[in-house]
Amino acid sequence: MPEWLQKNENYMPREDKDTFINKSILSFLALIARIKAQDKKEDRFQANAFFRVLFTLMLVVFVSVSRTFSFIYLVIAYLLLLLCFMPGREIAKILRTGLVMTLFTAIILLPTVFYGNTYSIFIIPVKVLVSIIAVNILSYATRWDQITIALKRFHVPDLMIFILDITLKYIVMLGEFSVEMLYALRLRSVGKNAGKYNALSGVAGTLFLKSRDMAEDMYAAMECRGFTGEYRICQKFRFGLADAAYLLINAGIIYIFIRLY
Amino acid sequence: MHIPDNYLSPATCAVLGAAMVPVLGVSIKKVKEEISKAKLPQLGIGAAFSFLTMMFNVPLPGGTTGHAVGGTLIAILLGPYSACLAVSVALLIQALMFGDGGILAFGANAFNMAFVLPFVGYFVYKFIRDRVQSEKGEIIGAAVGSYFGINVAALCAAIEFGLQPLLFKGADGQPLYCPYPLSVSIPAMLIPHLLVAGVVELLFTVFIYAFIRKVSPGMIYEGAKKKSKAVYGLIVALICLTPLGLLATGTAWGEWGMDEIQEVITGGSALNYTPSGMANGFSFSALMPDYSVSGLPDAVGYIASAVVGVALVIIIFKIIAAFKKDAAAKTKA
Repeated sequence: MPEWLQKNENYMPREDKDTFINKSILSFLALIARIKAQDKKEDRFQANAFFRVLFTLMLVVFVSVSRTFSFIYLVIAYLLLLLCFMPGREIAKILRTGLVMTLFTAIILLPTVFYGNTYSIFIIPVKVLVSIIAVNILSYATRWDQITIALKRFHVPDLMIFILDITLKYIVMLGEFSVEMLYALRLRSVGKNAGKYNALSGVAGTLFLKSRDMAEDMYAAMECRGFTGEYRICQKFRFGLADAAYLLINAGIIYIFIRLY
Repeated sequence: MHIPDNYLSPATCAVLGAAMVPVLGVSIKKVKEEISKAKLPQLGIGAAFSFLTMMFNVPLPGGTTGHAVGGTLIAILLGPYSACLAVSVALLIQALMFGDGGILAFGANAFNMAFVLPFVGYFVYKFIRDRVQSEKGEIIGAAVGSYFGINVAALCAAIEFGLQPLLFKGADGQPLYCPYPLSVSIPAMLIPHLLVAGVVELLFTVFIYAFIRKVSPGMIYEGAKKKSKAVYGLIVALICLTPLGLLATGTAWGEWGMDEIQEVITGGSALNYTPSGMANGFSFSALMPDYSVSGLPDAVGYIASAVVGVALVIIIFKIIAAFKKDAAAKTKA
């Protein structure tokens, strides 16, 4: 046995601030988890995605335009009611995003009190909260392929839907790929990592090159299967009890908005 | 830089959204011309890439981290038109599926980050690359381009914020949306971007660009082979800024009215006097004073002015293009 193998060594890696790798891994994983959670989603008792997208947009516009607090208050009541039907974990996530943004807005607006501004300091954070909750209810409660179908019904061009579809799928694929690279980077970064930027640019650069390869592979796959980028909706447009209830509620919101405006 | 809903008025969002329609239309047309159908999936995957670049945390001095937008990098790698589409899609997914950045504000966000940022960044890069034809030139181009791109985009966002209190007030005179005037919003947006976010963007762009250039140089977007004229870049920069200049009712940065100039903040202290040359100068407010049309509410006049402005720009460009075609035909003949 060579001599150097028998020697006792006490190697202590030098401390280094490598949080950027861990933080990157975490943000990638959170993103992938968010998209993957979509697959497991069952269709709950809910209205057609077409109506949900349409009326969520309407609600956001109304809230933004509205100048009376009573209307916003009613919308808050309605949204809280919707939240009641969602799983607790999702409610927590939706409320957390909304409240963080609201707090941020309130802090930003705080100095305007000195300008004698009492309207915006109160109403704008509330409006921000309401809009974020409304959009997040849509995004958490609706499967994204349903949103794509809704977009097709709105006559969004096929090219746009096609790009949207690929983007979502490849965020997951490329995201998993980069997480693996980041793990590899972390395993190899023992002690002081002097070339932080080189390491990171290697990961991001390889990601770009990989994305190019994947695009070519995908086109080949499309060609083999005869897909020309044209979308057809195979699902029939059904109008059920949930749709009727949803339409009724939203008709009520429109009426109240007009009355109070 | 993702603007949430309710910071900007719906009218502002509508105007900026309308401004994005022709931009996206031209981009789709250009992309279809530039890349064959074989490369169409590249657009979606490019969008996924641009979405993911925002996930990378870049180490900053002092052990903290920040993340880049990567708009200029994507414009350099894929070309500005593809970048415009890719970033727009990424923003749409963020707004619609992740609830990140406003739905109404999508037009404004797309204008700043999918149009202004990649185009300004790319054309600054191209301008430098064409003049300093070496590896150094390309790297410097990427550095300056990315720094400029993100800061001009931040300036646009600041102008959009700063216009709100001027344009949209309630009956009691209180602002309905973002209450800060330009004198506050511009330094508030630009100082952090000039000092921190711009530097992060620059480092991120340069390092990744250098890596890809070394490993696989053929992958980088070539663009037009001929040297771009300085004028061309300037015109593009102007197109980027024109709608904003038009929206600014009198108080875009550098367009202060006589009564406003003394409140302009330079180096932290207000100017407090009106330069005499300006006080007695020639006044130009004949046609559409402050872009508001009398007899109409401010917002309507403002949208109309914007439409007139954008239409004029398009008309002028169509005429220029027609003359250029004639000239080209003449030189051929």
